[in-house]
Formats: sequence, structure tokens, C-alpha cells
Amino acid sequence: MAAWLVRRLVASMAIVFAVVTITFFVVHLAQGTPCGGERPLPPDVCERERAVFGYDKPLPVQYVKYLAALLHGKMGYSFGLHRPVADALADAIPNTFILALAALLIDFALGLALGIYQAARAGRFGDVAAGNVALLINSMPVFWLGLVLLLVFAQWLRWFPAGGPHNPILCPRVDSLYCLLDFLWHLTLPALTLGLVGAASTARYQRAAILEVVRQDYVRTARAKGLREQRVLLVHALRNALLPIITLFGLAFPFLFTGAVLIETVFAWPGMGRLAVNAIFQRDYPVVTGAALLTSAMVVLGNLLADALYAVADPRIRVRGGEGGP
Amino acid sequence: MPTARPRAGLTCAALACLILVAGCERPVGCTGEYCGTMVIASGGEPDILLPPVSEFSITRDVTDQLFLKLADLGASGNTIGDEDFLPQLAQRWEWDTPTTLVFHLDPRARWQDGQAVTAADVAFTYDAYTDTLVNSSFRSSLRQIAAVTTRDSLTVVFRFRRRYPEMFYDAVYHQRILPAHLLREVPRDQWRSAAFGRAPVGDGPYRFVAWKAGESIELGADSTFFLGRPHLRRVIWRFTPDQQGAVTQLITGDADAVEVLVTPDNVQRARADSALATYPYRGSAYGYVGFNLAAPGDSTKPHPLFGDRDLRRALVMATDRERVLRNVFGDLAKVPPGPLSQLWWIWDPEIRELPYDSGQAARLLTRTGWTDSDGDGIRDKDGRPLAFRLLLPTTSAVRRQYARLLQEQFRIAGVEVQLDEVDFSLYNERARAGRFDALLNVWNTDPTPSSGFPQTWTPAGFGRSNYGRYDNPEVDRLVDQAVASAANRDQARRAWRAAVETLNRDAPGIFLFATSNVAAVHKRIADVTIRPDSWLALLRTWRIPADRLTDRDRVER
Amino acid sequence: MRATAPGRRFFRHPTAGPGLFVLTFFVTIAIAAPFVAPYPPYYQIDIEHPNHPPSAQFLLGTDPLSRDVWSRVVYGARVSLGIGAVAMLVAVTVGTAVGAVAGYFRRWVDTALMRLVDVGLAMPRIFVLLMAVALWEHIALWVLVLLIGLTGWFGTSRLVRAEVLSLREREFVAAARALGAGAGRVIFRHVLPNAAAPIIVSAALGIGHMMLLEAGLSFLGMGVPSPTPSWGNMIADGWHKMAVAWWSATFPGLAISLVVMALNAVGDALRDALDPRRETV
Repeated sequence: MAAWLVRRLVASMAIVFAVVTITFFVVHLAQGTPCGGERPLPPDVCERERAVFGYDKPLPVQYVKYLAALLHGKMGYSFGLHRPVADALADAIPNTFILALAALLIDFALGLALGIYQAARAGRFGDVAAGNVALLINSMPVFWLGLVLLLVFAQWLRWFPAGGPHNPILCPRVDSLYCLLDFLWHLTLPALTLGLVGAASTARYQRAAILEVVRQDYVRTARAKGLREQRVLLVHALRNALLPIITLFGLAFPFLFTGAVLIETVFAWPGMGRLAVNAIFQRDYPVVTGAALLTSAMVVLGNLLADALYAVADPRIRVRGGEGGP
Repeated sequence: MPTARPRAGLTCAALACLILVAGCERPVGCTGEYCGTMVIASGGEPDILLPPVSEFSITRDVTDQLFLKLADLGASGNTIGDEDFLPQLAQRWEWDTPTTLVFHLDPRARWQDGQAVTAADVAFTYDAYTDTLVNSSFRSSLRQIAAVTTRDSLTVVFRFRRRYPEMFYDAVYHQRILPAHLLREVPRDQWRSAAFGRAPVGDGPYRFVAWKAGESIELGADSTFFLGRPHLRRVIWRFTPDQQGAVTQLITGDADAVEVLVTPDNVQRARADSALATYPYRGSAYGYVGFNLAAPGDSTKPHPLFGDRDLRRALVMATDRERVLRNVFGDLAKVPPGPLSQLWWIWDPEIRELPYDSGQAARLLTRTGWTDSDGDGIRDKDGRPLAFRLLLPTTSAVRRQYARLLQEQFRIAGVEVQLDEVDFSLYNERARAGRFDALLNVWNTDPTPSSGFPQTWTPAGFGRSNYGRYDNPEVDRLVDQAVASAANRDQARRAWRAAVETLNRDAPGIFLFATSNVAAVHKRIADVTIRPDSWLALLRTWRIPADRLTDRDRVER
Repeated sequence: MRATAPGRRFFRHPTAGPGLFVLTFFVTIAIAAPFVAPYPPYYQIDIEHPNHPPSAQFLLGTDPLSRDVWSRVVYGARVSLGIGAVAMLVAVTVGTAVGAVAGYFRRWVDTALMRLVDVGLAMPRIFVLLMAVALWEHIALWVLVLLIGLTGWFGTSRLVRAEVLSLREREFVAAARALGAGAGRVIFRHVLPNAAAPIIVSAALGIGHMMLLEAGLSFLGMGVPSPTPSWGNMIADGWHKMAVAWWSATFPGLAISLVVMALNAVGDALRDALDPRRETV
């Protein structure tokens, strides 16, 4: 197990390294250095950055310097945000992380509940109707769903705020329970949008997994023992049916980032998705490169985590060695 | 014991309630006449808070509160002579000779770091505004001032090259006085990226507090301001991706004011909202399609398409400006008879301009060799299609709507237009650098055409506001004549009319709209007076009566 | 009996039939657009009176530029479905090729290709596409479609690789090789036809993903340029006026949702119809 983990870790780092390399060369070949190109950095900033990143040196040298700077946590300077790229990303990542976490929670809670409901009524009207509604929601463009929810709940009903992470005047920082509640209130709609679309997909997997497990012998044993149907489902079947969720957890990361890009734009949520999109529109390439690097790292780590969890949860996998991973 | 459990449960619940209540305590602070937080929602963000190097109107709104001019425009908006101007930094002034103006500064004026405002600051400011390295757009407006010198620490002398009616206006309106002791060391060619511009120190009614890039700027009232303490304690600008987003913030109650409601349905929504008051005022904005007369990126060569005057004229005549305007603005704007805003006194619907005549446009295009030889609906000549790209920012829903309407108007005339919708900062870069075919631009004009018109339509604005590099010596001559005769209204009007008509014949652009603005401000804010040339110029007199304070207003900083 | 068994399995799904109907409907109106749409898609009918609510004359109303929404939905079907289909074709072709080569040749070819797939999967697609559009301005629409396809083949390649890996050990492959068939012939004539099932299913589901991606890009302003209608840019154009004219952004969104839903339903049904080893639940 440990050997497998180490191998996967090394492979993950190699993947991130490859992404950094590709992004670096692509951006430089298309747009040159941040001190030149269409939106050059101001001269005094350029002086500083030149020492660290070697903008006047040949490309391979710049590449090596960039990697060295990365190890020190430096990613360049953003002219659009007037601060170092690393600082801007450090401020934005927690927001996306929290959004993704909240969305995942809603996703799994709703998906699980719906999957159980459907499995319990398999084949009957409740199952079919719920399945169709879930399918419809899963098929909607995530930004369109966000717009509709924004219009209905924020503009018409005024139940939720129309965007932003907090009330900037009363709660510029989360320093009291009131401000925490305010933050959660602002988080609700964006997380709900992302979670709903994912929940439909989770529900389908969950339903299939439960029904599959329900046919197994140990479930029949539990029933024969006279346990109530509820207990049978919840205690015995569910535990084994939870495995697909872990795979979904790993698959969720790329989806969440794509969704986050769009949702953060719709709801003005100050996360990494919106940062990256704004940087792309402003041609702020140091930020773009940094964001590309970080999102790939997060995706790869998410997969690694999912694989590790799967190995922990499913004893059958642990016994097998080999290449590992799907 | 059956009784122990419920009691434990009760104490748990009570504890939870207490914590909830304690945590739910909201900040209570300010009471009285000098409280209030006003949130202004804006679809644009300043690039830098350094007045000489930024032409954005949002920058003007913010720096109006941070910096003082020598004297400010009065309520009448009259720019001729000096009687209708109000003292600001200058306590009084007199004319030593017809071309020598002496200002006496108010000794009470202080920079917010404690230093006194002196005549040296004024001389330094003039030097910076006219420095070619700083490359300020306002430099051309100061061309009639020969020199600015100091007589002592509170006396400044302006010497003019000649007498003309709006000389006082030129001396005071364009420059916001800057602190010499903080800016002297900054190299002049680096002013556009100076750190001072991200955290300015001024002498105005408000102090700079914070600027979160992309989100908000906050100013706090200076309680020791010598012309009277501002009533509103905090002013915050919140930036939205576009103006429509700003209006949405206003409607949902997250913001208290917007400068322009823009479209008729927004005005309707604002009027229907019982918490908002609407304030119509004469609009100072006009919008147009500007053609690049020079080749994109190379100002020495003419533009392959728009170097041809007949082609430009044909495009103007192919556009049904009235109908397009009604789609976008309803009755909240008018088609201008040239590059004019409704604020300008020279506004005259009788000014001759090219008519909407699609037949004549088609004939003109055919005559210049543009015919649809391959039947694809787009005219071509020598194998090249009549196609160009229109540059506009994504932040303006009005311009985006116009772009799509014009696209169709041109397509009917056989011209293919592709839209380049880019980020606002990128748009400005490209406009300044001349890297475009045509652009959809909007100007907020000064109260008088004497300064703004030359900035935009004469060679004095090359590399600055004259994006299309339009140059007609006849127009220059007429403008000079108009400015020189400003005191004689009739003579000036004739000269201006001739200048605009000459420009119209050259068709350097299609003049699309001149707005009539409607601002919206939350009803709890009283004494709202809006000056059309700069809507927040009188912000320090706005106030929130003590009995109308909300939670947001009571927050102290 | 054998020929209709997959068909019966297909229609055992309650959503398969309606899904097929929806798809047929939209494909038909897309193909027959000039006959179905009462107005040309660019035509601004009466710009002084835009935002007509749905009525007898304008089935789905008119948008803020006074264009008939129904006509634009019909022509937009061409663009959105077309982009989805072409991008999917590119993705499936490249993915199948890569997966087949990796699965058949194994060893270092397999390792190298699968590492490439890992790198490709690490970058979120929308991000890569936005970067491409920003780095190279004014890219043609077909290049964009190609890029959408080229960023979407990674999942298919893994699927195909898994299938080829297992099929490769079967007797018919050994027999073909014994008869002297080259690698290419073995892959094309013998292995791939038996691996067709997962390819077809992922193609059906893939079209939906491509369409949603195009909609997202158009919403951000980086997709199909004006005035060509696509369902994505119709939403982008119309959502500002949602409060006064909900129809111009709602109907294209509904269209996308219905088509993607139909594709999902059909894809699920196909998966069970073509692969009798799987249990239907």
C-alpha cells in the first residue's frame, strides 16, 4: 500500500510538472514575457521581476528560473491586480475550496437521499419521476441554472443576496457569529447550483449501487433474520454502496472547477475560477500561468485522494498490487 | 432519572440561544448628523487615482473627493469670466493685468498627512500636467497658459499667452492640485504606475481609506476639512462587471446610488421602487463609432479602408441612427448633430450633418468600387471583402447592444462587421495605441466644448484622446476662432457650427447618442444636488438625517 | 430474435423512446431550418419594438434586438448540434485511435500515451479553451470546434484501451494474427468492431458535454461570435433582460437541457442495449 502510494505521488508530481512546462512554453511562445507583449508590466516592477525570472535571457534559462522561483513560492506579478500573483491566488483559493466543499456536501447529501428514495421505490412512479427530474437538472447548463436561481431567489423573492461573498460593510471579515452566518447566507445559492447538478448524477450512481448490493446474499441474510427493511437498507446495504461515492469524489474535482469558473462569474464569488477568467480577459498572463498550475495540482491531488480512499474503503483492492488506479 | 435529562436539554438550549444572541449582536456606533455610509455601484473601475494620467469619469468621481481645484464651477455652469466660480483651494483672486491672474490660497488648507498646501504645490501641479513625459490628456487644455509661478507660499501667478473668454476656466477646471512633497521624487515617465496612485494623499473633503482591486474603493470623511465637514462619514464605490450589474445592486438594496440608470426599463424599475429617488440631469456623455484613419499599429500610413473619406461618408449614411437609438435608450437620449453632448450650449439640431439615406450610401459605395461580385451579400473590391472589426468593452451593455444593431445595419448595406468585445482596460490600451479598425466610444464631456473638443478632434489629442487621428486644419482654425470669441455668443456659435459641420462632412465617426441622464439615489439620503458635468462634485453636502440612519450607516471605521 | 434483442433492451428504458423523439425533432428542425424558421436568424424585425412576448406571430417571442427567438432557436440548433457533433467526432476519433494503439501495443507505447492522457485530464477543459482563445485572438470557429474536440478525447481513450486490452487476448485476434494480418488490420477489422459498444455510448454522452461546453464559452463571450445564433450565445445576449423579457434566455437554455437530457437517456439505453453482459436495474 505504501509503495503504491509513493509511486502514485511521484506520478502526480510528474503530471503537474508537465502541465507547468506546457503552459510556460505555450504562453511564452504566444505572448512573450510579461515585460513585453501587449500589456507590459510597469518599468520599476519589471526591474524587480527581471532579476528573479530573467526576462532578458534565453527561453530555457527563463524556464529554469521560473521553476526555481516556484519552489520559493513566487509566481510573478499581476499588473491587473497590482500585487504578486502568489498573493492573489492565495486569497482566492480558500474561497473556491469552500465553495467546492459546500457543493460536494450538498451534492452527496441530496444525491444519497434521492438515491435511497429511488432504490426503495425501484420501478414505481416515484422512482421514474424522481429519475427524470434528476436527469433534467443534470442536463442543464450549470450557469443557466445559476442565472435562473439568481433571478428567482435573489431578485424576485429577495431570500438570498444577489452575489458576492459577504456584506462588505457590516462584515468585511468573518469575525463574529453574525458574520459567519452572513457568509453562509451568501454561499448558499452558488453552492446549491453546483451541488444540484452534481446531485442528480450522484443519485443515479447511488441508486444503481444500492440496487446491486440489495441482491447480494448478505442482504438476504439480513432480511431472513427478520430485520426491518429500513435497517436492512441503511445499515447493511448502504455501507457497501458508498464505494461509488468515493470514485465520484475524485471525478468531481475537474467538474467542480469548470462549474466554479462559470458559477463564480454568475455570482461574483471571488474564487480562483473568477480570478483566472478575469486574468484571461485582461491578458494578465502571469496570473493565468499560476492558476493553470494550481488547478492542475488540485485536480491531480483530488484524484490521488480518491484513489487512496477507495483503496482504504474497499479491502478487495488493497490485496491487489500492480499499477493501481483506474 | 427521568427528570435529569430534560433539564440538561433545557440548559443546552438556553446556552445555545445565548450564544446565538451574543453572536448576532450587530455593530452599533455612529449617531448624529455626521454618520452614514453611502455605497455607489459603478460598472467601471479607476485605472489609477492620479488625476493627470487618467481620463476615466469614475476616476474623476473619486478624485473629486480627494483633491481640490483652485476654484470650482458654480451652479449655473457658466464657464466664461470668473464671476460664477466658487473658491476652493484659492480663497480669492485678482487680475494684475488682463493676462495675469493671481490666486491667494486658503491658509487653512492641509494635506492629509498634515503638511500645509502651498503655492509650490500649484506650480508643481502645472509642471506635471504639462510635462510631455507624463503625457496627460489635459495638457492641450492648458496650452494658453504660458507660465505658473509663485510669489510667496500662498500666492500663485498664472500668466496667459493671450486674452480669451474662458481663460479663468482653463486655469482652474482641469487641474487638481497635487502634493509636491510626495510626488516630486517619482520619475515622470512612471506616473502611470506610481504607488501614490494606488494610495493617494489629498487635501479634499475625503481621505483615501482602501482600494481592493476589482472590488471596491473606500473613502472616509475628513472631519477637519476647512470648507466644512462632510456629512456622510464613509463613501464606498463597489465595482460590478458592467453598468447593468450596478443597477441590479441598487435595486436589491446592496448599493445606494448609481450615476446613470441608462435604459428606460431601469428607470421604470427605479421609479417603481419606493426606496429610491430618481434625479434627471442633463447628460454630459455622447457615444459614437470612431473610425481609425491611420493604419492599426502604424500611424504613418492611412487605414486601408477608413483612409477613404467616401467610404466613411457612405457608412454614416447607411446607419439609421434614430431607430437604433430608440431601441437602446427609448427617449432617454437624442441623436447628436455631431460630436456633442446635451450639456454643451452649442447643441443645435439645425447643424448640418449627413442624412440617413441607404440608397445614397449604396450608390456611393458602388461608385468607389465596392460591389458584391461574388453574391455572398458582402461587397468586395479587388478580391478583398468590405469587412472590419469593431472594438468595444464588455462593461457597457449599451455599447454591446449598439454593436449588434449596427452589425445588422451594415450587413444590409453589404459591409461585414465582426465584434471585438474585450476587457475595459484592454479596450483603453488598444484605443490609445491605435490598434483597432473602428471603436465604439463614449466621452463624458467638460461643461464647455473649448477644452474637450480639441482634445478629441484635433492633432493636439494625437496619442491621447484623438484615437482615430482625425486631422483637418480647417476644423482647427474654426475651433480656435470659436474659443477666442467665446464671450460673443453669436460669433462663437457661428464658428462652432462651422467647425462641427466641416467635421461632419469628413465623417470621422458615426455620432450615435447623447444621453439624458437619470441618477438614482436612496431616499434616505437628503440634500442631493447633482452637477451635470460631474455628478458627485457636491457630494460633501449630501447627508443622511439622524432619524433615517440604518445599520449600515452606523458602522464606524 | 437476436437482431431485435438489443432493440427491445433499448426501449425497456422508459426515457429512451422520448429521448429519441426529442433528438429526432431537434435534428430535423436543424436540417430543415430554412423551411421551419419563419424569419432569417439575423433579421431584426422591428427594432423600435423589441421584446415581444410569445404570441401567434412570434412563437417564442422576440429578443432585445427584435429577432424572432424561435427562428434563432432553429438555426441555433444547427450551430449547437453541429458543434457538438463535429467536436465529438474529433474526440472519438482521436480517443479511439490513441486508446486502441495503447491497448494493443502495450509496454512503453501504452505507458507514454496514458501519461499523456493523465496530463490532459489534469487541466480543466474550459480553462484550456479560454486560454487558447485569449492567446490567439480572432481564431476561426472551426478551429474552436477542433480545440473543443481535442480537449475531450481523454476519457474515450481510456475506455477504448480497457476494451482493447481485454479483447486482445481472445481467440479471434490470435487467429487473425496467425493468418498474417498486420497490427492495423487486426485493430480495425477485428478488435474495434467488438469494442464499438462503449465507443458509441461515450459518443452519445460526449455530444452533450461538448454542447454544454460551447454554451459555457459563449456565455463568457468566447464562443460563437455574433450574429450567428448558438444556444449558448442566445443565453449570453438575453440574460441581462431576464427581468423584462425572460423568454429570450429561457428557451435556448431549455433547448440545451432537453437535448442533453435526451442524449443522456439515449446513451444510457444504448449502453444497456449494446452490452448484454450488464444488468439493467
